[in-house]
Amino acid sequence: MTVSSERLRRAAGRPEPLNKKGFVLLCAFVALVLILFLPVFHWIRLTDTEALFSAMKLKASAAGKLGDSWSIFTFLSFVQDSKQGILGLWSFVLLLIACASAFFLAAAPFAFLTRGGAAEGRGMLRVYSLCQKGLFFSFVTAAGTLGLTIFANSHYGVSGFACGWCVWTVIVISPAAYLLSKRMERQERELRREHGFITEFRRNWILFLFLVPCFVFFLINNYLPMIGVYFAFTQFNFRDHLFASPFVGFKNFEFLLRSEILHLTRNTILYNIVFIVVGNVLQILFAVLISHVTRTRLRKISQTMIFMPYFVSYVILRVLVFNMFEYEVGLINNFVTSIGMNRIDFYNTPGYWPWLITLFYLWKNIGYGMVVYLATITGISTEYYEAAQIDGANIYQQIRFITVPLLKPTFIILLLYALGSIMKGQFELFYQLVGNNGTLFETTDIFDTYVYRITTTQPLSMGMGTASGLFQSLFGFIVILTTNFIIKRRNPEYALF
Amino acid sequence: MKKIKDRSAIPFHIIKSVLLILLSVLCVLPFIVIISGSLTSNMTILKEGFSLFPRNTTLEAYRTIFRSPEGIIQAYRMNFYYTFMGTAFGLLVITLTAYVISRKDFKYRNHVAFLIYFTTIFGGGMIPWFLMYANVLGLRGSTLAIWFPALMSPFLVILMRTFITGSVPDAVVESATLDGAGHWIIFWRIVLPVLGPGLATVGLFQALGYWNDWYRSSMFSTSSETWSLQFYLYDMVNSTMAMRQMAQNVSINTADLPTQSVKLAMAVVATGPVLLFYPFVQRYFVSGITIGAVKG
Repeated sequence: MTVSSERLRRAAGRPEPLNKKGFVLLCAFVALVLILFLPVFHWIRLTDTEALFSAMKLKASAAGKLGDSWSIFTFLSFVQDSKQGILGLWSFVLLLIACASAFFLAAAPFAFLTRGGAAEGRGMLRVYSLCQKGLFFSFVTAAGTLGLTIFANSHYGVSGFACGWCVWTVIVISPAAYLLSKRMERQERELRREHGFITEFRRNWILFLFLVPCFVFFLINNYLPMIGVYFAFTQFNFRDHLFASPFVGFKNFEFLLRSEILHLTRNTILYNIVFIVVGNVLQILFAVLISHVTRTRLRKISQTMIFMPYFVSYVILRVLVFNMFEYEVGLINNFVTSIGMNRIDFYNTPGYWPWLITLFYLWKNIGYGMVVYLATITGISTEYYEAAQIDGANIYQQIRFITVPLLKPTFIILLLYALGSIMKGQFELFYQLVGNNGTLFETTDIFDTYVYRITTTQPLSMGMGTASGLFQSLFGFIVILTTNFIIKRRNPEYALF
Repeated sequence: MKKIKDRSAIPFHIIKSVLLILLSVLCVLPFIVIISGSLTSNMTILKEGFSLFPRNTTLEAYRTIFRSPEGIIQAYRMNFYYTFMGTAFGLLVITLTAYVISRKDFKYRNHVAFLIYFTTIFGGGMIPWFLMYANVLGLRGSTLAIWFPALMSPFLVILMRTFITGSVPDAVVESATLDGAGHWIIFWRIVLPVLGPGLATVGLFQALGYWNDWYRSSMFSTSSETWSLQFYLYDMVNSTMAMRQMAQNVSINTADLPTQSVKLAMAVVATGPVLLFYPFVQRYFVSGITIGAVKG
């Protein structure tokens, strides 16, 4: 009785380990593994280098520059210098897992010191969970390194690769520390009345079954392709095996930085800013206007008409734009000649296209945003307007001081979403309007069209394409994190996550 | 409704009517150009260009299309196939997932929701995605590669979750659990029967996406047999456009190309079903967009 009340008292305060000795031991293990991750410890050693380098068909001059032991973080430079692309993907994945492991292992003491999780009544559970994730990944890293050496030895037919002593240490320590942490977690769970994965699985196994298709889909469609960013660091070609193209480090990025990336970034961001600003202003304007149409039938009809372009495919848009702006028979040129002016060559003049693309973006998307804002407006209580009318406010004042301020939350949400995808382009819009018309690229090329063109027509530049895709993803990711961070500080209600 | 007492509001109402009529007309006008162009004879188009109203009305273009309809019928068939497969399987897996992350008694629902949401803020990019399907799974040329990649989207999963939490009160699920119902029974007997509007909305979003898709056909198709309708149209338009560009410099006999009016007739045939159903299903899209934007 006294013991349990003593435990509960402790549980309410700052998180403290129930088993002090065990905790100290766990700390020591975690620290040891973390230290072993430091690049000064060599995870992969090369023995019998002469036979190995001749099996790799390396010249003596190139082989001479290579060292004979590598850490997990520098092994990729060995892959690059010795031109052994076949080892590249494996060591890239190992590098990522090692980083994940180090991250979790470093986050665990941080969570302990800042009392993470204690506020939610979870006590030390978060610390243990972080430890276990880190230890699991460090075990995978060590086992993967072992696997890499075995694979490399069998590939070259020479037993030239060997694991350093740190690998063996980690292989032994990680599972031991994992089990220790697991045991202490179990005690903690009893105290917090929480159950672990196995209990949850036994209780709700049918929900896990429901999730299987979802997992398969996102794994294939999103998560496994994330590993494919490896191609950004290769000189991709189909001649070597898909995963054996030469590893070239940051060469693709260097090339992109010199040539394409600046104007792609500029185009993508500028277009998106224009879309966001002009789009939202017009959407709000028309939502306000349409909400003042008093006859329901008229309102329905006009909403139906304005929303219609959203439903046609971009291919139809292509046909349409072509019919309007074509040189010989287009509607515009038809009109222009009929009033006695010269034909305009739209399809060879880059200057017109920013305007046209924005115009058709608006044409297709005004209806969508209008519907969103209209829903907010219909949600506004009529009492506000009645009170304002009694006070003598005219219709402009009602819009200015009631409708527009109440639209602000919706606007902010839409703005945040739009900012989050500021590096993504309206690919279908751009591609269908411009296509492969090279004369217009200067003003119309965005990341998505550039990458698409490479994918479909230039298989030899795929490494470059992946690199620009990765740049786009990372840049967008950073923008989202930053925006979310700022928003969370100023007004947590609007935060995305 | 509100009476116009305020004289100063009169200009507002005039401007409102003018702007709304203008935008409505602008939104619909292009469709009229396409339809009237498809009804105009090709010679008239070449001589006088496109215009708003059909002149020398003729059904020649439609007759040309349906004289040798194999290509378009095949494309139509494939489009129905993709739309059906994608919508049916997509609805099933989206609903299952949304049910799981809507259950408050499921410990990992936030983890799962985050894993789904994360895909919208970071990704490997187009090329790894393409290589995954085309080379790793070897699906190039198969129809699976065209409908599978759009089976689920985070937006639709979240939308469906909102529908589920909105239409099935927790109390109902709790009392069912007390009566001994497991998740299987709750899902099929309690949640699905009241989920009509949600299924309709999400299904229509899916169907619209599949119907209008050309992109995956362009990436994964190896023969015109598996082209979706939009890509069939795209290919037709594109080949003529390229030839026209060349014809400006070199003299090429443009008479053999699909004529302008035939292209427009194709466009009408390809969009027909969407615009036909649109007025009746519009409200589902409106409710979906509203719910998705406010809660999502």
